[in-house]
Parts: sequence; C-alpha cells; structure tokens
Amino acid sequence: MVRVDFKQAGVSVQAEKGSTILEAARKAGVMIESPCNGAGTCGKCLVRMSVQSDSNVIQKASRHSNRTLASGMVLACQTEIYSDVIIDDIPNTAPQGLKILDQGQSLAVELDCSISKKYDAELAATLIYMDGQLLGTEKGDSAAKNYGVVVDIGTTTLVAALIDLNTGDELSSRSALNPQALQAQDVLSRIRFASEKAGLAVMYTGAIQEINRMITEIAKQAQVKKSHIYEVVFSGNTCMLHLAANVNPESLGRYPYTPVIDGARHLKAIEFNLDIAEFGLIYLPPIISSYVGADITSGILACKLHEREGITLFVDIGTNGEMVLAVNGKLVATSTAAGPAFEGMNITHGMRAGVGAIESFEITLDGIIIKTIGEAESVGICGSGLLDIVGELVAHGVIDKNGKLKDPKSMEFPEFIKERLTRRDGKLVFALSEQVWLSQKDIRQVQLAKGAIRSGIEFLLANEAITAAEVEQVLIAGSFGYHLRVKSLINLGLLPAEFDGKVEMVGNTSKSGGQAFLLNKNYRRDMKALVKRVGRIELADYQDFDRVFVKCLGFEEV
Amino acid sequence: MSSDQKELFVQLSDAVVDMDEARTVELAQDVITKNYDTYEAIEKGLADGMDRAGKLFEEEEYFIPELLMCSDAMYAGLEVLKPHLKVDQQAEKFKVVIGVIEGDTHDIGKNLVKIMLETSGFEVIDLGRDIPPQAFVAKAKEVGARVIALSTLMTTTMDGMAEVIRLLEAEKIRKKFVVMVGGGPISQSFADRIGADGYAKDAAEAARLAQKLALEIAV
Repeated sequence: MVRVDFKQAGVSVQAEKGSTILEAARKAGVMIESPCNGAGTCGKCLVRMSVQSDSNVIQKASRHSNRTLASGMVLACQTEIYSDVIIDDIPNTAPQGLKILDQGQSLAVELDCSISKKYDAELAATLIYMDGQLLGTEKGDSAAKNYGVVVDIGTTTLVAALIDLNTGDELSSRSALNPQALQAQDVLSRIRFASEKAGLAVMYTGAIQEINRMITEIAKQAQVKKSHIYEVVFSGNTCMLHLAANVNPESLGRYPYTPVIDGARHLKAIEFNLDIAEFGLIYLPPIISSYVGADITSGILACKLHEREGITLFVDIGTNGEMVLAVNGKLVATSTAAGPAFEGMNITHGMRAGVGAIESFEITLDGIIIKTIGEAESVGICGSGLLDIVGELVAHGVIDKNGKLKDPKSMEFPEFIKERLTRRDGKLVFALSEQVWLSQKDIRQVQLAKGAIRSGIEFLLANEAITAAEVEQVLIAGSFGYHLRVKSLINLGLLPAEFDGKVEMVGNTSKSGGQAFLLNKNYRRDMKALVKRVGRIELADYQDFDRVFVKCLGFEEV
Repeated sequence: MSSDQKELFVQLSDAVVDMDEARTVELAQDVITKNYDTYEAIEKGLADGMDRAGKLFEEEEYFIPELLMCSDAMYAGLEVLKPHLKVDQQAEKFKVVIGVIEGDTHDIGKNLVKIMLETSGFEVIDLGRDIPPQAFVAKAKEVGARVIALSTLMTTTMDGMAEVIRLLEAEKIRKKFVVMVGGGPISQSFADRIGADGYAKDAAEAARLAQKLALEIAV
C-alpha cells in the first residue's frame, strides 16, 4: 500500500501499488473529472503532482497528444502510483461558476396538485392524500405545510426546485453538476457503464445522493422540513430516468433501442432512498422513446406545443438533439446524435461553461470581441463560444463553405484576422489567445454536430411536406441552447436561414414542464395519452439519410 | 507510355481530386477512343486520384462531402472504363467482409471505408448494419475473405467486435483473417485489448492499413 495525499481536498488515502491516481481519488471520494472514464483519451483528468512525487509514479503509454502537458501535470487515469504521492492541485473538479439555467418557459398553471392535505379535528391529525387516496397522516395541523420538488436530471447538470403545493410558488432552487458525468460524460458511455450491475449502482446512487443533497439545501434555504415534501418529479431524458430509477439501461444502447420503462408512473421515495416524507412519492413523466425522453414531454407541456395553432418546431440542442415538429396539434419527434462537441469534448481547447471559458466571439469592423466567463483570462472554449467562433469565421469567409480554414496569404483579410491565422504544431489554426486556439479538426467536429441536428430538422420538415419558410415559430430549449446566439446558429447552418426572426429561446423547459406536472395532476393524464399519439421518426430508417447528412455538413445553404 | 497517355492519366487523377464528375467521364471516354490501356487508366488515373483525395482527407484539407464527391467522380469514370478491361486484367482481388456490428445502425463511416477499400483494389462484401458477430465469420469463411472490417459509432455496441475475434479463435481460424476495427468510440488501445490486427482513425488510413496487413498475413 502507498499513500496518496490530495492536498486541496485535505484528504489522504491508502492505495494499491500500481493503481492509478484516478482510482485512488475515487477511493478517497475526491472528484476528478474523467469523462472518458479512464480511457486516456479526453485529457480532462489533469492533476498537478508535487515535485518529489515525480519519481514515485510511472506513466502508462498515453495516447493523449492534443497538447503537451505543463510541467508537473499528469493525467490521473494514466499515472500509476508506486510510492507515496502528493497531489497539489486538481484543476478540473466540478467547474467553478458553472452556468446552468434553472428557469424555463413557464406557463400559467391552474393549481390542482395530486397531493392534498386536510386537517381532521376529530383525529387531531393531518391526512395526506395522493389523488384522493390516503398516503399517510401527521400529528396536529400541518395542512399549511405542503411541498413538492421538481428535479431536472440533465445529462450534464441537475436542477432542483422546491415548490409550495398550496400556492404553486417556487421557494428555492439549486443547480449542480450531475455526478454521473464525472465517470461517463455522454449518454452512450453512461449506458455502457450502467449495463453492469456495479456500474448501475454507481450511477444510481451518485444521482440520488446528489439529489438528496440538493433537496437538503433547498429545504434549508426555504426553512421547510424535508418530511413535508411529499412528491418529487424527475424530469430528464430516457437514460437519466432509467438510471435514477435504478433500471438497467442496456437496451437503450442497442438497436432497436427499446426503453425498459415508459414513465407516467409513481415510485415510492423510500425505496429509492430519497430523503423526503417517508410515504412520499417520485413521479416519472411519460417517455416518448429511447432518445426522446420525459424532458421533451415536459418541454411539449411547458410550451403547450400540442395546443398551438400553425407550425412550430421545438429543438433541444445538446449531445442528442431532440426535436418535435407541431403542425396544428399534430406532433412528430426525432432525435439526432450530435455528439459531445457542443459540450467541449473532442475539441482541442474545449471545456464546460466554467470560469475562463470563451463564451462569445464576434468579428466587427474594427476587431474581434472575445468574452470569457467571469471575464477571466481565457483557458478554453465552451459550447456557446465554439458555435460563435465557427459561425463568425464562416460569415466572414475565414472558413470556406467546405469548412476549411483559409490560408492567410490567399485572402485579403484585415490584419487583426490575419495575425490569428497562425500555425501550431505545423498546422493552420485560428488563435484566440496564446494558449487557446481553434484547429481544423475542431471545425470538423462542429460540422458533424451541426450536420446531425440540421439533417434531423430537414427530415422532420420533409416528412410533413413543410418548407423551412413555412415554419412560423422555432423554440430552442435546454440550458445550452439558451446561451446560444441565433445569428451563430444561422451562420453555421445549424438552423435554416428561413428561421431568422422566428427563433425564441425557451430555456430549461424540462424543469418548467416538470413543475407543471407537479402542480396539476390533469397534465399527467393528458400527456400520457398525448405521447402515444406523437409520431416518431427514426433517421436511421431512411435510405437517403447519408446523403442529407453529408449535404448538411457544409456551410452552404442546403 | 506516350507523353499524351501519361498526361491523360494525370488529368484523370486531377479530375477525381477536383471532384469533377463530368470531366472524369469525358477523360475516361478519351482513354477508350485513343485505345489506351484501361487497366493503367484506372490504376494511374482514377485510383491515384482517390489516393490523393484520401491523403487530403487525412490532412484535414478535405472533409466527408469532398471525399464522397471525389468517389462519385471516380465511380463514374470506372463505369466507362470497366467494360473495356481485358479479361486477364480482372485479376483476383483480396476480399474484405465489412459491416456495422450488431446493435448499431450508424453506417456512414462504414460506407466511407468501403469506398476507400474499393478504390485501393479490394473486393468488398458489405454486410450492412446491425450484423451479428457470427454473420461476419460465416461470410468471411464462405467467400474466402482476407480481411474482416468491423465498424461502430456507439460505445454501447463495441464489445461485439471482441466477440467476432472470440468466434474466430474458437474455430481456430483466427490467423486466416486480418481483423480491423474502427468508428467513433474505437481507439488503438481498444483494438489492442480485444486482439484486433489493426485500427485506423479514418477511412483513408483504414484502406492503406488494410493493404499493408493483407499482404503481411501468411495464408
């Protein structure tokens, strides 16, 4: 056994000789971001070792060559410990100042909760009912204390809000990183991880523990007893709901991609170790399909898509781009595999929306305006920044219609652009700062991601014989989408140019829709019936998907 | 070879690289009218063009749409030249059995590799997508393939690739085939771990690697 000190966290742990720093950290309960789960490919699990530790470790042959590591920095998953080691710093723990949107398009909801409380003077007790059925009793009169929680379980982030079920008011809310993302960032990695019993246990308990922690905080902030919380709505994509409900998600990851649970049901909170009233319940909203989940059902509800006149397109831009086309109440849904580029994965200097991330970028007549989160020195590029940078470079001809960075010599660019077209490791890049740049490979990743979403839109529209110009309203959902600029989405061709002027960012509708489920029980019945009528398009079933996808990769108008 | 002939082959190659389908067809017809060797026109013109396109793809100059447009031009030229090949020139080619592993339906990457393999002189038997491991083995035995090429985009299905290798080993025929793997979540270390012979990060590299490995194995 050897000793590993994590100075920052003030923890030390005994580890097996030959185990990795990452393994030791997990044993010690110290969080190190490791989205590729130790495969040595993502390069995010950097830690700084003390100088003395250097000779006590051995590097596995690491294939991560995107950038050379600064001195003292090692990849935790690729560094095996053979004698005592001190870790001075872990730069990528939960990102500082993470931007998570906790608000979404809200709708006027008539208060008619599933949960009701009534004081019975004869019994001198308060009775708690769920849809008219007795759930439990409390001593004395506690009828005024009636609370529920909505949790948006995002692949990357969690948002929890405490709601007063007697008034419908939101009392407090919290957001946090989904701890599952530290072990497996994207949905597919998570399905694979949780296909095994031990992996499922890690994913399930990780989510529940974090949700419990958030509930404790929001209850404390609002000075509410947790035992007065009777119902929790879990809104999230299909995989997240499987994991939170402790259900093996394996079948989601294999054709024909069948979900095990379809939502629209209650679970007993106590059986899932959720720390609320002992007879409290968890409600899972109805799921549409494996890749169009309860979060989208919540989105449909929050935007009342099914009740809208005319033609509306709802798009959740993320790792999986889910979208719903509503034509006078008729709904058709699909999803596309955009991949994790928008989350900064597979991007040379990609990162999440934390301090120092370039979040916006604009080329003006006089120069370039770059903004970072927290106005800090730039350390990387987050999703919104990435789309801005590529979008602006396309709009100004620095990236050609095929996605190629132009040679600075071949074109008459202003000096402030030319000087940024420079070479790193022999390859042409667009420099954003000394340390941060956009590579040709990064642009290719953006092309793949936006091509996937755009081809989904093309198929949805074509399927209903609707042109882009005929679409009257475009709703961009999701906390990621909220931070995007419409101009960049159109510059990139992620959205057709015809959508200009019709786009509305509706924010976290998974949460606001989940809240509506909590506040009015009738929505549960309505949406359960509705999801059965939602048309589903499986893009892989279309013969010409390849052709359309390839067409959508370029930056010319499709 | 006359200089005119040489020049024509270079132009053919250029037309493929320039994604110019009409010009490729025109030049291929010139080859026929002038009675030049069609086999050489394919080798030094069309295949050379695709090889150059593949290199540009690896260098990130070209992306998927450009590579596909080059291959459209190449196939159009091939249509013109193929009927004029002499019988003895239609030599036996190495066969590749390719497909997307069971559970996965994403096949764009596999289709790109198929194109690059065909242009580098392989006969490709495409099983399609969502293919059970056993089907790869059966087909490879049936056609006497030299290479088995497995593709997947999904992390959740990559373990099926190891199953193909296990089946080959169980039948004691592992050494008869080159097994290559590729796709989004695949890496060299994954290939090493499951005992595959080769991994390539993109279609152009896959074709080159297949040529190398197919010659190396003793059959």
